[in-house]
Amino acid sequence: MSLLTVEHLSKNFRGLAAIRDVSFAIAAGSITSIIGPNGAGKSTMFNLITGYLPLTAGDIRFQGKRITGMATNRIAELGIARAFQIARPFRDLTVFENVRIGALFGKAGPRDVVATTHRAMELASIAALAGQPASSLTVGQLRHLEVARAIATRADLLLADEPCAGLNPTETAAMIEVLRQVRTSGVTVVLVEHDMPSVMEVSDRVLVLDAGRLIADGSPQEVANDPKVIAAYLGTPDAA
Amino acid sequence: MKLNPTQVFLLVAAAIVILAAGPFFLPPFYVRVGQLMLYAAGLGLAWGILGGFAGYASFGHAAFIGVGAFTAGLVEDKFSSLPALLLLPLGLLAGAACCAVLAALIAYPILRLRGTFFAIAMLGVSHVCAELTNNIDFFQGSMGLNFPPIAPAGMDPADFFYEIYLVAALFILLVSWQIRRSRFGAGLLSIREDEDTARMLGVPTERYKRLAFVVSAVLTGVMGVIFAHSLGYITTESVYRDDTNLSLIVYSLLGGMGTLFGPVIGAFLLVFITQVILGRLLDFHLFATGLLLVILVLSAPGGIAGLLKKRKRTAT
Amino acid sequence: MNLIAQTLADGLVLGGIYALAAVGFSLIFGVLHVINLSHGVLVLMGAYLALIFSEALHIDPLLCIPPVMAVLFCVGYAYQRFLIQHAVDRASLNSMLLTFGVALMLQNAMIWVFSPDMRSITPSYAFTSFKLGPVNLDAVRLSALAASLILLSCLAALLRFSPLGRVIRATAQQTMAARLCGVNVRHVYALTFAVSAAFAGAAGIVIGIILPFSPNDEGGWTLNAFVVVVLGGVGSPAGALIGGLLLGLVSTLTAQYIGPAFPNVTMFLLLVLLLLVRPNGLLGNAFAPSR
Repeated sequence: MSLLTVEHLSKNFRGLAAIRDVSFAIAAGSITSIIGPNGAGKSTMFNLITGYLPLTAGDIRFQGKRITGMATNRIAELGIARAFQIARPFRDLTVFENVRIGALFGKAGPRDVVATTHRAMELASIAALAGQPASSLTVGQLRHLEVARAIATRADLLLADEPCAGLNPTETAAMIEVLRQVRTSGVTVVLVEHDMPSVMEVSDRVLVLDAGRLIADGSPQEVANDPKVIAAYLGTPDAA
Repeated sequence: MKLNPTQVFLLVAAAIVILAAGPFFLPPFYVRVGQLMLYAAGLGLAWGILGGFAGYASFGHAAFIGVGAFTAGLVEDKFSSLPALLLLPLGLLAGAACCAVLAALIAYPILRLRGTFFAIAMLGVSHVCAELTNNIDFFQGSMGLNFPPIAPAGMDPADFFYEIYLVAALFILLVSWQIRRSRFGAGLLSIREDEDTARMLGVPTERYKRLAFVVSAVLTGVMGVIFAHSLGYITTESVYRDDTNLSLIVYSLLGGMGTLFGPVIGAFLLVFITQVILGRLLDFHLFATGLLLVILVLSAPGGIAGLLKKRKRTAT
Repeated sequence: MNLIAQTLADGLVLGGIYALAAVGFSLIFGVLHVINLSHGVLVLMGAYLALIFSEALHIDPLLCIPPVMAVLFCVGYAYQRFLIQHAVDRASLNSMLLTFGVALMLQNAMIWVFSPDMRSITPSYAFTSFKLGPVNLDAVRLSALAASLILLSCLAALLRFSPLGRVIRATAQQTMAARLCGVNVRHVYALTFAVSAAFAGAAGIVIGIILPFSPNDEGGWTLNAFVVVVLGGVGSPAGALIGGLLLGLVSTLTAQYIGPAFPNVTMFLLLVLLLLVRPNGLLGNAFAPSR
């Protein structure tokens, strides 16, 4: 059984079809990337899955359970966590205290809080920053904090929204490594990303959105060679 | 200068012993100042549970001082035949209960407001309670309410109330401390930092806010009951005061918003400044509090704790 | 029938005055995003200044409006530029605390200088009244209402048609863009505050001729202004007028039919209700970006 299934999902914003009849399934324990040109609907997809936006048509199931129309915090309680591109740390708290909030209030309640917090910080490679106030962190470190706090909630699915945006190559590599560690620990990862080399390197599967439609769904190699995908990004020779 | 827990505990224990012995070696004027300091500290700590921890700064907490005080007075009046020693507990219970009910009722609508709107709405609550108390004869706000003397025979009432204030303030400090180190407290801090993100991480924000609001209100009311007894006679103006509303905020601002001991330090300092340094210049009190606030906001918005933190950071 | 007509008329007259007393507060909230808790004190300053001028110079209090507005304009400019500007930051708590502190200081100062007793300004036509159908209107209230409406219209015209008004509106809508176009935002903020203070002072004079006043009223006038803004909308004289009229009607109707102890209670309940349902008021935020 897939961890997350999306069936015939559609979203209209007053006549603008942002998502058109998209269906896919995410296997547990995998890393899936959603890519596509700007405006393709990638962030909207995340917003629909987490219940931030109401959908127009279709169904979303998580661990077999229908989550269509559920409130955001209910969905969070079921085990879907999200790491945002614009990090929102608790600025006056330390890194440890930030991650601890996730462990205290996540799915399945507060058990082994300290251990869970440390584990999450280690997976996100920020254990060394534990005592520092969140306000003193760099952008890259804040992204790691986002991930750490999200997985401290013992979520089964992590949705990472452009985790590498604005990072230099070293920071990007570090973030990709974190996502790998997260997957190894048993958390399924779905990310929206633009950084192609990273996407190709780390993903088990790649979904390609263009103008709200799913135009490709397969392994990185298959997708990279798919003429529809190339056309979506680069255009065809005729359209000048 | 980070102290380990045992050192902190010993320091606090020593402070408590010294404070408790106060009336035995301090002249009467200073015993009264001590009363005010402990009263202010308790109020500041109670306010801080909602304002400092959760970040919901109320500009109208005097409402609960008044509600507590008048409820206690009216209830005790009905049971005036009871021995003096039972009257205070009765008043405390009645005042606390009434504050709890009031807080629980207004929590639902008022906690949906954020920041400035919440602050002003609470100021409105304070003014409305004052108006109703003053204009409705049943509450006797304009006529005034009498409180029978309850100090045990042979003990100076000033000393008696000093010790009562001390016990109350310590109790509130204990509650505040326990909240801060609990899961509830961690949740409140996260609400203060970023309420929406806290919610998305699973913090039951609405429930926690309401609980903090009720606890804060009840503890404030308790202090109000003791205050009324120590005065012996109260009118609307004795308890529903805008400068009290402001002072509660200044205690935390001065000592460090959101910290455990911040309100205590701020309270002690502010009372010391207004009562001891400016003691003779009675007319100057309000002016001085206002001036201090202006200076604070402009130069040290993080309070004393903030200044200490800044010095630590520039030193490293 | 007569009673309800009278009550409504009284409410409208009071409402017009409430509107004037709130419009300055509304402007500051809309443009600077500052809640000026010393607003009531500025209103009272206007009243006391008019008291001094009219008694010293033996002129009609309404004629004191220009000089008082001039004085408060300068005071307001300096207050914003040199004090409040430094406290403005991402948490508006600081500016609220600062203005609250200043309010306390000025209230205390007023108590020293003028004593806490109730005062009032009595114009020469104080005991004349007119009858309009079933309704009694006294000359003082009528002139107060007229003054309020004229002043509100002047402010609306200023904001709509004058260069200053345009700059203020632009800065309110998009501060960063205004800066990039060369607007000296601090100066504009100070000018906005100055205008607001001037109108607060004018409101004080109008209030002073119809109601007795004392330094202890300052908190009430600030809260009043807040309620008017929440009711009618932020940043526009029209919003202040609607909010003020509504508040005036609620006040007089409550005082007449529920009891004199309850106008403020009803006002407060209305405030909370509106904050929950439509926090930007009936006309919304005048400076919010339009679609």
